[in-house]
Amino acid sequence: MAGEIRAGERRQRRGEDPERQFQWVVPAGRKASIYEDLTLDTQPSVHRFLKSGYHCSFADGRGTWDDASTALDVVTWSAFRDPNELWERPYYQQGAQCEREIDAAVESARSQGLYADVDPDWVAFLRRDGQVPAFVEHGIWAIATRRSRAALSDALTHGIVLYAAIKQRQAQALVIEGMDLDDAFGDVTIEAARERWLREPAWQDARRLVERMGTIRDWGELIVVAGLVVEPLLGVLLRRELLLRGALRAADPVTPAIARNAQREGAWWQDFAVAFARFAVQDPEHGAANRVLVDGWLEAWTPETLAAVDALEPILDGAPGTSFADARAAVVADQRELVAAATLDPARPAVVA
Amino acid sequence: MATQQTRRRSVTKTHERIAQLGWRHDYHQPVPIYETRYVFPEKAKDPMKQVMREYLPMQLEKDDRVYGGFDAALRAGMPTKADERWLQVMKPLVLILVYAEGAAGRCMSVVMDVVPNEELLNGYHVQFVDEVRHIGMQMNLARWYAKHTPDPAGWHRGQEYMAENMFTRAGINMFSHSFVGDPIAAGFTMMTVIETAFTNVAFVALPDVATRNGDFIQATTYSSVQSDEARHISNGYATMLTVLQKDENIPLIQHDLQQAWWIVHAFVDPFVGTIMEYFSSDRSDNESYLTKWDRWIRDDWYRSYVEQLGKMGVTVPPDMFERARERLVAGLHHKTAPLAFATWPLQFWKFSPLTEKDFDWFEAQYPGWYDEYGATWEAYSALTDPEEGALLLGGLLDGAPPFCWTCMLACVLDDDMCHRTCTDAHGHERTRFYCSPECKWLDETNPGRYTGDRNFFDKHHGKALSEVIVELGLLRADGRTLIGQPHLRKDQMWTIDHIRDCDFEIRSPNITQARVLGLPDGNWHDPDDPHGAVMGDGNGFQPVTLYGGGRGRNGDGRVVSTPEDLAAAAVGSTPWVKL
Repeated sequence: MAGEIRAGERRQRRGEDPERQFQWVVPAGRKASIYEDLTLDTQPSVHRFLKSGYHCSFADGRGTWDDASTALDVVTWSAFRDPNELWERPYYQQGAQCEREIDAAVESARSQGLYADVDPDWVAFLRRDGQVPAFVEHGIWAIATRRSRAALSDALTHGIVLYAAIKQRQAQALVIEGMDLDDAFGDVTIEAARERWLREPAWQDARRLVERMGTIRDWGELIVVAGLVVEPLLGVLLRRELLLRGALRAADPVTPAIARNAQREGAWWQDFAVAFARFAVQDPEHGAANRVLVDGWLEAWTPETLAAVDALEPILDGAPGTSFADARAAVVADQRELVAAATLDPARPAVVA
Repeated sequence: MATQQTRRRSVTKTHERIAQLGWRHDYHQPVPIYETRYVFPEKAKDPMKQVMREYLPMQLEKDDRVYGGFDAALRAGMPTKADERWLQVMKPLVLILVYAEGAAGRCMSVVMDVVPNEELLNGYHVQFVDEVRHIGMQMNLARWYAKHTPDPAGWHRGQEYMAENMFTRAGINMFSHSFVGDPIAAGFTMMTVIETAFTNVAFVALPDVATRNGDFIQATTYSSVQSDEARHISNGYATMLTVLQKDENIPLIQHDLQQAWWIVHAFVDPFVGTIMEYFSSDRSDNESYLTKWDRWIRDDWYRSYVEQLGKMGVTVPPDMFERARERLVAGLHHKTAPLAFATWPLQFWKFSPLTEKDFDWFEAQYPGWYDEYGATWEAYSALTDPEEGALLLGGLLDGAPPFCWTCMLACVLDDDMCHRTCTDAHGHERTRFYCSPECKWLDETNPGRYTGDRNFFDKHHGKALSEVIVELGLLRADGRTLIGQPHLRKDQMWTIDHIRDCDFEIRSPNITQARVLGLPDGNWHDPDDPHGAVMGDGNGFQPVTLYGGGRGRNGDGRVVSTPEDLAAAAVGSTPWVKL
């Protein structure tokens, strides 16, 4: 709490009218951003200003929010910030822009006759597997949105909710692309994609992984697993290495707009997850214990995620212009960098490919 | 350059495809972290069919209009033209509504954790994103008021004050019901009662009052919020239709809907009724809060929605709805308002004495109002000058009603007030007061739900008022002048020295009333607890039923606490006990 007092005094020294500032906001920088003003302490906490405790509790003794909802512990969750400061307005601006770009790409493909230039083998791939990654996105969405409520600060809750919203947008964009491809080429159905997701052996390890994510009870584990393991390895493999690179080589005018936007959104989430992991493992009181936990989660999830990646070899090699070996090497290298950026040890055996 | 209009995709067909993204898990089953007593049918129907490609541009357009409105309001000089009495009460109102939005979003998350029907999940999640939008817009409104309105004091530490304010913490308590406990019961609280019944009052009627008081940016913001509520109401209806498919859910629905109704009424009606009628300077509206309530709550919600559920097998006795209206007629918010005004030194906004014009309006809307309340308001006006050296609170607090354990507002209706004796975790007998038998019923039937240091004045009992004001940080930047003031003038502002001169000691009405009535200790504050609460439920749980007799399992007119028995009581097979 000493930090808050200092923050208020600092503003006063600058000659700002202290009663025109949100003094409860402890800015990460010199001055509170609009993201901080509109987000912080919108979720009350007994560790902040609810000095009388939670007034509404579960019958089993859990309070309105429960410190045990994550095994991680920090001095104060309220100090966490999304490094990219996403709040509702930029979220809608960016999301709407994604959809506009995709729609524009579709209209351009139709009006300029660009669909005719697409590699027929790529069309066959899209017909077969182009919509299957939507099931991955949808599955992650389902668990992310369920775990958002338990998170222990507003900045964390909002981050998880917006991540879920982004996953749902990405899943739907792939399904809608399937409808557009159906118009252009015929025989592109969600039923066929669903069958592939449910039955095709190459997709089963990915399905098993996504279903396992649905068993995560700890929202902190969810951020680490989704942000530092599943997304950078499996998500990037599908979005960048398969859909984006493959589509660019195949003269596909639409899929790159979908995948590029998804990757841009994915970069936001990776930054969020890296910041979160750093925040936890560098906590002055609980950092060491958190590091053991986070390392344990990486070890528990990386092998199965890599197995899901490896199982997709026939899918990537079956798509024209993509190389599974190159793709795998790229995502593994990038993920190692990401783990290192989170100040975790990328050389741990489980993380090494 | 050739242009082509975007080809419109069928929303229904798009949604049909998107709905196939869910699948039955084979390798790992989802693990919920919340539990429900409800069972679910195989099929459900999402009536909204929200697709992100349509949703995102639509919301962006609405955002652009709202945020553009802030600039327009500034250019139009609204901060100085809007009525000051009204602008002051935006401080507690906007902040508690921000909490409400967060509660609504989190409600979606808990509901999604237990509802297996894939068809409904997309709609729930879109609502959570809406709620993030509402938080952003309303905090932006708070920020705009803080930066531009004439007297921003109170906004500057608004979230701190809100957490410990005697009225807004009651709001935190109520809105928390929508994401704590059984997720479906929580969903009914938020979607079926708060959003379907009360958002018309909060987000349509209040903006109307705002506009009449020259505050069109509040109206712009909340009207945009309300434009999302249709989808949220639809989510609630879809949830209701889904669980209604299973007969075993019906008693639970009847029970949970009544509990949800009561806790929402117990907070919203006195809180919003007071804001709407006692903080409006404009008296051009001839529709009272009660008239609006009849239109939107009784006619549009109870008669058009709840009663219609009877056709689907849900029989909700009318007693609770009639009781709520009777309480409004009996003066629920008129009796709450003087207490709010008398406690002005403990609030983070300023108050304005009622004028002759106000008296005329109240008398016209509620004949007999002046005879009952006029003297109190005259006394309030007479004591706004610090030179008088007297506080209305001094005369009121000794005889003030205790605060209700369940809804945390004052037990202002004598005939409704009741109490019970509970034994705390240390074997010490204590008294809990309730504003109504229904609030008592809520506490008795939900052991462990109502926690924390609940009676506002208990922890301040015996302290000087000036000490409490300093402790709560309710001073302006000069370190002397109180944030709360009994008037809107820039002169004759009360300082902490004026309060000290009054030499007024806080006495908790809960402690005082228990003593006067010869009841066990009314104090529920424990200074040794980290949150000041007497720990452990230990509440001598003896659930009772309401309305109309009954035998109960033990033949004593009471039912035991199993969901089956509560459900049986709710459906009428165990008649209610008229208390």
